[in-house]
Amino acid sequence: MLDDDREQFRGDARRRLLLVGGGLGLGFFFLGARLFHLQVMRGGEYRTLAEDNRISLKPISAQRGRIFDRENRLLVENSPDYEVVVIPELSGSLRMLLKRLSRYIELSEEEIKHLLQMARKQRSFLPLRVKSHLTWEQVGSIEVRIHEFPGVDLQSQSVRSYPFDALACHILGYLGEPSDNDRKRFSRVSFRSGDLVGKSGVEQRFEETLRGREGVLEMEVNAVGRHVRELHRNPPESGEDLQLTLDMDLQREAQEALGGEMGAVVAIDPNNGEILAMVSTPTFDPNQFIRGFTHAQWQEVMNDPNRPLINKAVQGHYPPGSTFKIVTAMAGLVSGKLDPRETVPCGGFLLKEEQRFYCWRRHGHGNVALHQAFTQSCDVYFYKLAERLGIDAIERQARKMGLGGLTGIDLEGERPGLIPSRTWKRKIFKSSWFPGETYITGIGQGYVLTTPLQLAVMVSCMANGGTVYRPLLRKLQPGQEPEVVTRNYFSAHHMEIMRQCLEGVVHDPNGTAYKSRLEGVRSGGKTGTSQVARHKREKSGQIIKTTNEKLQDHALYVCLAPVDRPRIVVAVIVEHGGHGGSAAAPVAKRVLERFFSKYGGTT
Amino acid sequence: MNEGGKPLLDGGSGAVSLGWADRLRRFPWSLMLLLLLTICLGFGVLFSAVGGEHNQWLFWRQVIQSGFGLGIMLFVALVAGERLYKRFAYLFYSGSLILLAVTMVAGSVGMGARRWLEVGFFRLQTSELMKVALILALARYFQDHAKNGSLGWRDLGVPFLMIILPVVFIIKQPDLGTAVLLAGVGFAMIVVAGISWKVMLTLALLFGASMPLAWNGLHAYQKQRIITLFSPERDPLGSGYHIIQSKIAVGSGGVTGKGFMAGSQSQLDFLPERHTDFIFSVLAEEWGFVGGVTLLVMYILIILRALLISEMANDRFGLLTVVGATMLFAIQVLVNVGMVVGLLPVVGVPLPLVSYGGSSMVTLMIAMGLLAHVSLYSRQHGRSV
Repeated sequence: MLDDDREQFRGDARRRLLLVGGGLGLGFFFLGARLFHLQVMRGGEYRTLAEDNRISLKPISAQRGRIFDRENRLLVENSPDYEVVVIPELSGSLRMLLKRLSRYIELSEEEIKHLLQMARKQRSFLPLRVKSHLTWEQVGSIEVRIHEFPGVDLQSQSVRSYPFDALACHILGYLGEPSDNDRKRFSRVSFRSGDLVGKSGVEQRFEETLRGREGVLEMEVNAVGRHVRELHRNPPESGEDLQLTLDMDLQREAQEALGGEMGAVVAIDPNNGEILAMVSTPTFDPNQFIRGFTHAQWQEVMNDPNRPLINKAVQGHYPPGSTFKIVTAMAGLVSGKLDPRETVPCGGFLLKEEQRFYCWRRHGHGNVALHQAFTQSCDVYFYKLAERLGIDAIERQARKMGLGGLTGIDLEGERPGLIPSRTWKRKIFKSSWFPGETYITGIGQGYVLTTPLQLAVMVSCMANGGTVYRPLLRKLQPGQEPEVVTRNYFSAHHMEIMRQCLEGVVHDPNGTAYKSRLEGVRSGGKTGTSQVARHKREKSGQIIKTTNEKLQDHALYVCLAPVDRPRIVVAVIVEHGGHGGSAAAPVAKRVLERFFSKYGGTT
Repeated sequence: MNEGGKPLLDGGSGAVSLGWADRLRRFPWSLMLLLLLTICLGFGVLFSAVGGEHNQWLFWRQVIQSGFGLGIMLFVALVAGERLYKRFAYLFYSGSLILLAVTMVAGSVGMGARRWLEVGFFRLQTSELMKVALILALARYFQDHAKNGSLGWRDLGVPFLMIILPVVFIIKQPDLGTAVLLAGVGFAMIVVAGISWKVMLTLALLFGASMPLAWNGLHAYQKQRIITLFSPERDPLGSGYHIIQSKIAVGSGGVTGKGFMAGSQSQLDFLPERHTDFIFSVLAEEWGFVGGVTLLVMYILIILRALLISEMANDRFGLLTVVGATMLFAIQVLVNVGMVVGLLPVVGVPLPLVSYGGSSMVTLMIAMGLLAHVSLYSRQHGRSV
């Protein structure tokens, strides 16, 4: 070949190589530009992504606050609930290990099979839960042999425990899975699966106080989630302890006094509204909610016709019956339309516009003034008094004394009761008020509905000279004032008249609660019998005795003691118990006796 | 301008024999030094990528492999006589093609692809042989059929066939990365040999038209990789995972990086294949933009130094061998880094001199040795570099 030829090729090749080299150069330029874009311009963004990759946040649950009674007895505590976990990658043969474990913790063949299946589905360095809710013996037997079980660990988590079991269950409440409502209400709390929240009682009302704040453990993890090291620990804040106003001695006494009867008892300090005892029967055991219900158990609780989860003391609506005569009498005194010496003839019924309004004593009380009418609970007298006062005055007085509206107690689901009025009737029934309705309102029947707690509040108002306090479940701190809802000023004269009336019920030999008077302490009270169904009467007026228990009257009793300077008010209702004096008053008597034997019998 | 009046690019009549002292003197030590520096830089990255203390044996193996590679480069450059490679080019090519065919039938399967041939206790990746064989065979073809000016279809028929045959075999394995590499190297050599604009344009049109067809011919996982490149977020835990994690690693490195052994993406297993195909991410995470650009500059220096040798080639064979070997190196860099930073689909191409792995290192060093060999026998020594 010629020199020209090779020189020409060399020249051509150089040009073409420049083209190829230019292509390579362009390629490197793109790489450099891409690196600049990713690392310099968007570096911060990618750094955040890398941190998110690397850091896993593990919540540390906060210890829930404990709950005490007024004398610092532990009502709700946290106790460890042990579970056995195993880390499969450390365990050698998982099947053999589980088999050996089953000697100490009862694992069925199916459970083992299920666990082996679970183990295949998750990463082998993550703990596998073998069994929860271990008994103390099981914990002990595993603990001493822990070295025989490689990869096995005992883990504890804190669960609620209620040492008094069912006692005060309605007040304490229980925990459960948060509902959508709970999530809305505690929007600041981010619930995780397995988290529990107060579902009733003070556990629910004081959720924010008790809950505390959960801590966080920042862990560095690798791509498959294995923990590499701890980066930062933000410790949890325990929830605040809560001291209640309850006195568990009185609570137990009231519970036992009710025995197997359905009903409710409320004991309250009339001078500040502190609730000393609050019982509703039947009860439930909140511990059961911790261990978990089987479906059948849950159905049983839910379908129980006696509805054990309902707190009758605040959710039960009952006609107050004759206990309402306290309100009617006060309305009379306050309005000046009642002269305590004036007598009214009682012939067993009051005839008004060809309609008979019966007294509970069919043959009548004869001529009675306020004191006898009150102590013997003459209905005719109070029909007449109500007629003279009119519904408006009765309604006004009832509301002043805390009836017909929420008391504001620290419990969810409280019901407001009902004090009827002309406007109310027009609104609901689209009809005007009949005079007859005023009569039966005057004796606490008809439309009137109260909760046992409201009755206790009303009697407290009577006992302390006219103040309606908001009932308290959380103990007042020193220096903290009780909350006043309404303050009436009952005159000393009226108070004295009422004191004698209330005392007469218990201490007059023909008072309706004479059998329930105390030794050494003078108390006052008022019995009530609240009609469940309108009694069928023959033309003669004879009551047809009913044998159906569900149609039996509710027995009510409210009382205060000591009568001249009350320190305790008790309201009792025994469902379908019959007469207040015979069924409800003895219950209250036991509570009072316990109170005075404990705190001393004198003022 | 040339010693002894021998023609430069004629394939030569009489071969020159050089003494050992001359060979050593003419060896392009500056290229060797650049390669060595880059390899050492790679050691630093690999040490971190294999997790420091844990898998140190991997690190030391790479050190040995690298030393072995440099030895091979010296051997290939120094030991053979002037004509040896040209003489055996076709034979080598034919042998490699046959081995590729055998691999297709009898090769052993690893990671879903049939790439290896069991030779005793040694696993031979036959496509590696073909990389060198194709460069030599094409160089020889253009030497033997020397023609100046632009080459038309008639001139390029055989070279195209020489490229397409192995590429098809390798695509079938399937090993898209190596196939693309071979096609790129071959095409670059043809361009430098003198392709006509007419053929180039026709090829471009044909290429464009065949894309849909080629798409259908791809394996599902290959299609997935291409889809994933353009939208990795569609499948963040599946096929998009590699790209996403790699981009996070690279991006989070920022300007100066997180420091040696301090890359969370690298050290905490978020980066897949971090000591092999994705080792550039480790570098970029721990040494940042500065580190990444430094390595790219090293590569550019190596490529420039290698292309300079083409100036010294005595003939077409030498010049095209230099172009082929350099392109083999350069395309691997571009494809690997392009894939790591999310510009190209994920194909299994290692990063030259840095990725862990013996066979790709050996192939590259053979190519570098051929390059040096060309420089060794240059008739214009003393004139340049």
